[in-house]
Parts: sequence; C-alpha cells; structure tokens
Amino acid sequence: MSTILDLHTHSEASEDSRAPVEAYLNWIKLRHAERPLDGIVLTEHRQFNRDGDYRHLEDKFGQMVLRASEVETNYGHMLVFGVNDDIVKRFDFANVRLDAQTLINEVATMGGIVVPCHPGRPNIGLYEHYQSKPPLENIVAVEALNGGSRKGEDERSAELISKFGYAATGGSDSHLVSLIGLCATRFEADIKTIDDLVRELKSGAYEPADFRPRRKPVPQAVEVEPR
Amino acid sequence: MKNFEEINIGDTLGPLELTVTKQQCRDYAQIMGVAGIAGRFTDEEAAKKEGLPGIILPGNMSLGLLAKLVTDWIGLGNARMTRIGTTYRQPVQPDRPITIQGFITNTDAAERTAEIELWIENEDAERLVIGTATVTFGK
Repeated sequence: MSTILDLHTHSEASEDSRAPVEAYLNWIKLRHAERPLDGIVLTEHRQFNRDGDYRHLEDKFGQMVLRASEVETNYGHMLVFGVNDDIVKRFDFANVRLDAQTLINEVATMGGIVVPCHPGRPNIGLYEHYQSKPPLENIVAVEALNGGSRKGEDERSAELISKFGYAATGGSDSHLVSLIGLCATRFEADIKTIDDLVRELKSGAYEPADFRPRRKPVPQAVEVEPR
Repeated sequence: MKNFEEINIGDTLGPLELTVTKQQCRDYAQIMGVAGIAGRFTDEEAAKKEGLPGIILPGNMSLGLLAKLVTDWIGLGNARMTRIGTTYRQPVQPDRPITIQGFITNTDAAERTAEIELWIENEDAERLVIGTATVTFGK
C-alpha cells in the first residue's frame, strides 16, 4: 500500500487564499484520475488551525485532511508537521523571524518535523540563504516540487537535495482550488494520522509526485516551397 | 446567456488564446493615463532599465482580459460579475501568445453565486496572473 498526500496547501484560513476546504476536496474528487490523492495537509501561514475539524468532510469525500503550519524563519519558509501543544507554547508562529536551527531541533525533540518549503525560491528559500550562511543541521527533507515554482526554482531545489542528501517531498502550495494536488508526495506506507505522517517523513521512504500538466510542445516550423 | 441551474463545478471558461501586441499595450497605457508614469508599458529601453525583459502589460489590462473572459461567458442575461481579484505573479509580455482560461470551483445555491478561478498563462503553461471572480445570478 502507499499513500499520496499534498503536503502543502492553504485554505481560506490563510489571509491570501479564498479556497474553502470543501471546494478543495470536491475538486480532488472531480480530478482524481489526474491527481490521485488520498488527502491533503493544510499548512496555513504563520498559524496552527488547532480547532479545525474536517471529519464530516473527510467522510463525505473519502479524503484525509491533516493539519500543519507554514512558518517563516531566518532561513526562509518551513512546514511544521506534528504541531502539538508543546510546540505551540514554545514557538510564536506569527513571528516572521523564527530561528530555523532552534525550530528544527526543538520541534524534533517535541515529536514533530520541520521541512523547508520551496527551497529554490528567491528570498524565502533555503538555497539563497545557503549562499551566505552555513547549512542547517538535522534537516531530513526539503520540498523538491512546489506547484507555485517558477522556472529554475525546482532545479535549484534539486541541486540542494543532491548536494546535501536530503529526502524530497512535493506539495502544490495551492491558494486556489484548481491548483490542489498538482504536486504531492507518494509515501510507501499507509498513512492515516498526523503521527503516521511525522513517522514516515522522518523515515525518508517517499518521493515527490508531479501531476502538473505537461508543457505545451513547441510547434515545429514547416518548410514551405517558395513560389 | 447563463442560468445558475445549468452551471456545474468544474465547468470551464475559455480557453481564449491571443497575443497582445506592443502597440495595443502602448495604446492601452495612453488611454488609461499610465504611459507617462511608467515607461515600462510603452518603451522597450525604459522597461529593460527597470530589470524587465521588455514592455509589459499594465496590471489593469490583464485584469480587464480576465474580466472579459467572465463577462463573455455570462453573456446577456440576469447574471453579473460582482467581484474580481487578481494576483500578479510574473509580468505578461506583449507579442507573445497567452492563454486565458478559468474554472467554476464552487457554487452557492442559496446565494445563487458561482466562484470562478481565472488565469493568464504563457506558452510554457506558467500562470502569470491568477485571480478569482464571483458571478451572481438573478432569479
């Protein structure tokens, strides 16, 4: 068995998204042949949506809805999985200058895992920070595929993964309904809970999955006989 | 003419393929009164001095193209576009083919509204401008 999850999504709980969770799940149902997800992980900006209860939607659509967070650090943006009371008490997620190394180390101690996202993106990605600062320790994985990547960003992420031997995840970073599931992560194991997800992320037994539509082929020039 | 009863989540708007010329871009900037403020919409060299690849479309021109897709889709009738919002992710360049399209992503039967996602993409399928719009249908 395996599990395919979109590990990076934003619902209307994030200030820059208008996407309701129900609309995401409905879209996955509509497009399941192209984007065969088993669930999504909500990673709202600078907050943990502790009270979100999506069980009725999980039942309605047969999809898993897990919750995590996207926070901002001195090494760029990072996803925090396995957020619990200890982590929320220790870190102010609204702080846009969290110390990345402290976050990575202490979240791991408190039962979670931190995954730097869109590492190839200018300003907010790990790659650029590594040009001027020492590499971080204890990183297990980084987001290799991001649905919002521009040209060259995923390539820079791949370079980082190759150089440092990180495991690789994928997520759509969707802020719009129709973008959900364009990138995801395929786990070897069955995942049913956030604890399962954290355990599997630590194991490294997964790979990014790319469901983005293929680029349009460049039309071939047709030679015409001059009259 | 579109009726609320005949639309479904997943319905598509477009795709509309077109190429905006540099002259159309200049004309738009002149008419909208932004040509003198920012040379990036009218002058190749001025745009390059700002670090852009060349002339780019004014944001409102992209917004207008997205809005036109919605209003053309609505057609004549008792529906109207009641909201549109956009995010500009990358500059839209004239003289290069672009595709404009959208999806209905949500409907509200009580409010008789449809939520639509829209975008402009380039020939590499990169979404340059993305947006959402709400269409409200009469009874």
